[in-house]
Amino acid sequence: MPLSEKDVRAIADYARIGIADEDLPQMTEDLNNMISSLDAIKEFDLEGVEPTFHPIGDLSNVLREDVVAPSLPREVALSDAAETEDGQFRVPSILGGDQ
Amino acid sequence: MALDITQMSARQIHAGIQDGSFSAVEVAQGAIDAIEALEPQVHAFIQTTPELALKAARAVDADRAAGRELSPLAGVPIAFKDNMNEMGTRTTCGSKMLANYESLYDATVVERMLAAGCLPLGKTNMDEFAFGSSTETSFFGPTCNPWDLDRVPGGSSGGSAASVAAGMVPLSLGSDTGGSIRQPASFCGVVGFKPTYGVVSRYGIVAFGSSLDQVGPFGRSVGDVALAMNALAGRDPRDCTSQECAIDFTANLDEGVEGMRIGVVPAMNEAEGVQPEVIAALNEALDHLRGLGAQIVEVELPHIDAAMAAYYVIGPCEAFSNLSRFDAVRYGYRDPGHADLSSMEDASRAVGFGTEARRRILVGSYLLSSGVYDEYYLPAQKVRTLITQDFREAFSKVDAIVSPTSPRTAFKLGEVSDPVSMHLSDLFTIAINVAGNGGLSLPVGLGRDTQLPVSVQILGPQFGDDRILRVASALEGCYDIARTAPLAAAAKGGE
Repeated sequence: MPLSEKDVRAIADYARIGIADEDLPQMTEDLNNMISSLDAIKEFDLEGVEPTFHPIGDLSNVLREDVVAPSLPREVALSDAAETEDGQFRVPSILGGDQ
Repeated sequence: MALDITQMSARQIHAGIQDGSFSAVEVAQGAIDAIEALEPQVHAFIQTTPELALKAARAVDADRAAGRELSPLAGVPIAFKDNMNEMGTRTTCGSKMLANYESLYDATVVERMLAAGCLPLGKTNMDEFAFGSSTETSFFGPTCNPWDLDRVPGGSSGGSAASVAAGMVPLSLGSDTGGSIRQPASFCGVVGFKPTYGVVSRYGIVAFGSSLDQVGPFGRSVGDVALAMNALAGRDPRDCTSQECAIDFTANLDEGVEGMRIGVVPAMNEAEGVQPEVIAALNEALDHLRGLGAQIVEVELPHIDAAMAAYYVIGPCEAFSNLSRFDAVRYGYRDPGHADLSSMEDASRAVGFGTEARRRILVGSYLLSSGVYDEYYLPAQKVRTLITQDFREAFSKVDAIVSPTSPRTAFKLGEVSDPVSMHLSDLFTIAINVAGNGGLSLPVGLGRDTQLPVSVQILGPQFGDDRILRVASALEGCYDIARTAPLAAAAKGGE
């Protein structure tokens, strides 16, 4: 069943991407076209086939020694942020209301 | 008289510096001049870095003057795709989201090429976040194909391919998630190599599909690409998927293909929409390989048809996850004037990402949602198992597989606008990203109908990358073709 505009709005909310009302019909059509082109994936008999999540299948939990290593100094790590304050990233209010 | 580097290979440049025919600074200046002459027409770069190139060149010249041994790539100009972090540059990914992002560290591949003495000339244009096959989705405008400026260079590493094809640099790096090195290499008539997943570190590359992405080189010859691989490959503690690799990729280049079994996949070559000139070029290449003593054998990849669908499920799902980091807090575009965090994020991501990026993020978000996961994502990962088995089975019978790289030659700017049609230009390249194998695109001259570059693709078993280069080198020797587009000579003539 194709996605409705309401579905697309919900998906976009979850993905934190605003969509203007006038862009919603085109985006809905594009997504439905893209998703219907994927239906070939349902045509294979996959009974008993194990999934491969990664080309190097036998990797798991690759850990390094738990020792302190150099990393970016704080002021460097902050240097690409839109807004900082007191050595921290600054964001608008999370819960709403005055900051 | 300024040094003309537009036709020179990395090996020639290095040899000239080594024997004192010219200095690394003259080489850097030659690349800067070439970019100045050609870039206004091609637009291969998002940012050029002549001062970084000259600084690196002075270091190479100082090393030579001091009698220190030079690495085989010392003094060779290089360009990096703009999803690779390089200190002293912006890394934009072709996106408004990162238009002002200053790299805070070097990607491992950048670090390795700079340590080898390469001269960094700039950051190359790309489809936004590598989502595309034409470089038209870049926020900074499209790149033009040096062979025909009205046509696309392919993508997503279109700027990297075009910079080499135009003669601005002999080497560049790209990344390949579903064909993003090989397809633009084909459209631009240069060599492009995607190694086996795990051969080259991905640390410091802005991630698209983490189980699919691999970095690789572009060059105008197989030998130059092999030299670059020697510097690129190997374990990096900062990328846990990178593997030990002690191979000299140049060692087997002259071994030939006599006695080798080369596979062809009838289903690939008979696929709908493949241009006749592409098949004609493939058949000519197969004749050459026979002439060199290889045996051509038909092999089946029974699940190849599902590779495209598996890729367009796995890719967007991984992209959705990877691109969630662009939250407008730590870096990236922040839309001004929002009183609360969620409207700031919604607006920043709506404005910061272009249309194709938003489409793919939304598709990924949908495919991973509860209930839908079992319909697409899980089957796609099972199909990946079947495709991997197909290749393993095929490579138990043949040493390498040869196919077209792209079903067609370069299309015109604006010609393909429908996203699903655009995806079809990756028909032959996608399967090995899904399976993890390596593949190389080798130019085999101009198509008989379009007079545009045509290539064949050479695939190998996982970690059989040196064998791919060996086959490519043997086949390359059968062709006497221009590797630099005529544009460079025309620009020189017009001086």
